[in-house]
Amino acid sequence: MTALHVAHVSKSFPGVKALDDVSMTLKPGSVHALLGENGAGKSTLIKIMTGIHKADLGEITMDGKTVRFANPRQAAAGGLGVVHQERNLVTRFSVAENIMLDRLGNHSLSSVNYNAIAQEATRWLKQLDLDIDPMTPVSRLSVAQMQLVEIGKALSLQSRVLLLDEPTASLTPNEAQVLFRILRRLRDDGVAIGFVSHKLEEVFDICDTVTVLRDGRNACDSAALKDLNRQDVVQMMIGRAERISKRAPRGKTTSAPFFELKNYSSAAGHKGISLAVRPGEILGLYGLVGAGRSELAKAVLGLSPQTGGEIVVAGKPVTIASVAEALEHGIGYVSEDRKAEGLILLHSVLANAGITVWRKLATKFGFLSDTTIASRVGPVLKKLEVKTPSLDQTIGNLSGGNQQKVSVAKWIAAGVKLLIIDEPSVGIDIKTKAYLHDLIHELAESGTAVLLITSDLTEMVDVADRVAVMDGYMIRGVVENDRNYERVSTAIMGFIHGRKAA
Amino acid sequence: MTDTLHATDNFMPEQRRGSAVMRLALSNELGLAVLIAIAFGAFAITLPGFTSPFSLFTIGRQIGIDTMIGLAMMAVIVTGGLDLSVGAIGVCAAMVFGFLAQKMGIPLPLAAPGAILFGAVLGFINGYTVVRSGVHSFIITLASMSIFFGVMIFLTQAQSFNELPASVQALGKLRVGGMVSVLLLITLAVCAALSIFYRYTVLGRQMLAAGANPRAAELSGIRTGRVIISCHMLTGALAAFAGLMLTARTGAAVPSMAGHLGQDWLLPAFLAPVLGGTLLSGGRVSVVGTLLGATFVTIMTSGLLLMRVGEFWILACLGLMLLLAVLADRFRQQVLRARGMI
Repeated sequence: MTALHVAHVSKSFPGVKALDDVSMTLKPGSVHALLGENGAGKSTLIKIMTGIHKADLGEITMDGKTVRFANPRQAAAGGLGVVHQERNLVTRFSVAENIMLDRLGNHSLSSVNYNAIAQEATRWLKQLDLDIDPMTPVSRLSVAQMQLVEIGKALSLQSRVLLLDEPTASLTPNEAQVLFRILRRLRDDGVAIGFVSHKLEEVFDICDTVTVLRDGRNACDSAALKDLNRQDVVQMMIGRAERISKRAPRGKTTSAPFFELKNYSSAAGHKGISLAVRPGEILGLYGLVGAGRSELAKAVLGLSPQTGGEIVVAGKPVTIASVAEALEHGIGYVSEDRKAEGLILLHSVLANAGITVWRKLATKFGFLSDTTIASRVGPVLKKLEVKTPSLDQTIGNLSGGNQQKVSVAKWIAAGVKLLIIDEPSVGIDIKTKAYLHDLIHELAESGTAVLLITSDLTEMVDVADRVAVMDGYMIRGVVENDRNYERVSTAIMGFIHGRKAA
Repeated sequence: MTDTLHATDNFMPEQRRGSAVMRLALSNELGLAVLIAIAFGAFAITLPGFTSPFSLFTIGRQIGIDTMIGLAMMAVIVTGGLDLSVGAIGVCAAMVFGFLAQKMGIPLPLAAPGAILFGAVLGFINGYTVVRSGVHSFIITLASMSIFFGVMIFLTQAQSFNELPASVQALGKLRVGGMVSVLLLITLAVCAALSIFYRYTVLGRQMLAAGANPRAAELSGIRTGRVIISCHMLTGALAAFAGLMLTARTGAAVPSMAGHLGQDWLLPAFLAPVLGGTLLSGGRVSVVGTLLGATFVTIMTSGLLLMRVGEFWILACLGLMLLLAVLADRFRQQVLRARGMI
């Protein structure tokens, strides 16, 4: 008996193959985990199931019948309910109104029978052990209660298949346990549940079947979870190293650290973070999505207030309240989100590469010319082999790889002594990726301290000297990188997932 | 630009995506220049007296003032925001000028900069409030427009300063070569200064960067908040400048010279930069475009007035023009987005 079957679905977006021959089978009375790192294709798959995207190839069947939903409303009407990561409730409306939102009346102008919808809503609230007045505004509920209301909304549409996208992302462990109790009951009632999460503990706690996606393909298709252990699942998520790293481990530097965090805490939620990067060293910062890595970089740059501990730059304790101040201390940051945070796509290559050095290059009265800027950033861009017709070219017209080179070049031009590089190879071609790895090494050789953030474990093992492992906004441990993929990945995963045992 | 070519010709050419055609399509300056030539030619042929020295003088003077108003708005559109209080600031600054020059007897070379500084202070109030509150500048400046104007009417008792030194009005009437208003020349000088400012100064470049993508600018080490406040201050100073020019034309500082709440300025303020190709979403300006936009609007208005078209028709016509210009702006943004430039 199959509730929902995804058969050989492929989907391409311009320039990317998001899904390649992906299959998955959801059965009634089962909780099915859908796993994969960011960009593996989970969201695309969910969007195809619910009719937001159309599959290029392959088909989806429910109870043996082929379905082609045109939009999520149709999917819901067909018995496929989705609870998305982001809240989709109208917070000023009552619980009952939210649950019954698309069934408040027969047509737009019919009056709402509040008693009837309250009664109907109460039925679903009871099933979810939610003891709240259905007329309570949603804004007064806790996050966990809101989550349950969303599930109630999906259930009230007679969903036989329920997809939950990271339902526990904003819940406390206790609240998550309440949710799981209800999910188990729904499962026993014969609902097929799809469960997307990054928290492997939860997956092993509640799920019985697992589908893992990697780079848009099935790393496994609806496998029984009892035959697998954490290591297996993680290996499927991140993939095995296809090759032995060609780089030898680099010689250790023993000079005094350029940048140190001592017991650092931030308003973003980091607690007791201690780490040190020496000049010429590449320190990796690894963790699964949501571990707080990019958030740490941004907090250190002054975007979240520091709440405790010390930031030490070149041996002196400092406070950093803005990126401008970080830059004055010789710290630069290459954002993972090149288009939104890294570059000004509307402006020229020259303006983007020179933005960090304008103040430095200006005359006393704040004047500076293109020639002055070009003489500073030109050689760096040339060294990085940025391919552009001219420095006046709008940077939005360059390829992703060349854009990424420019976003690194601007910090090199500024002569930073610590460069924080966040996910350097997202959305760029393999050749440029290899080039960037070489570049990071060259930077380190020339004495720059590098803090490398990446979710790509192969990249981490290939590039970093040491790997600090982060989970839950804390540093769990540091692994020396000897370029032995098996050993390093095991050690890293040990720090992330072994903390219950430890 | 030629001086940077030596630094660029070492770059390997990547596929060039129709940049010549695109630039033409995306630039308003050329189209505006053609429109101006057509409109001017048509009026010159059909309307006797349109090209008389006096007519050219008044048209030129009006271009000078409207361009200045347009530049004031342009300076804040750079941030992707706007300033509804430009008119109120302009009048307030003019009244401060009147007070300094007439009541206090302060010499003009000090009174005029004082009034411009005052405009910048009002702009600072706008900018500081926008940055600190995070509320869109539309609401903030809608409020400040009423506050500035209301306080000004209260303080001046709605009385004009009409005993200004004679040199003020003389400046408004001064012609060079029999037909060119000095006010137009002053505006041209300000245009030149602004063009240099946006291209060759750190602050100007930072304004464009912070306007195009505040997040990326902040993460590249620009103090975005301060820069946006500076944009509002520049707007205030330019609005004050326009207020002074209007005072010179009238020969008096009159509380009602920009209409109630200064709203008579709003149409020219938006028309000139938007016609000129300044992106409403921020990050791109065209000083020359603003000048051409104001020129086109002024020539059309003057010509239609000479044809005895009712003023309400002209207003409707200007409104329609603004609508078309905004649609063109939308189109530009769509093209830019499709090309991955926003």
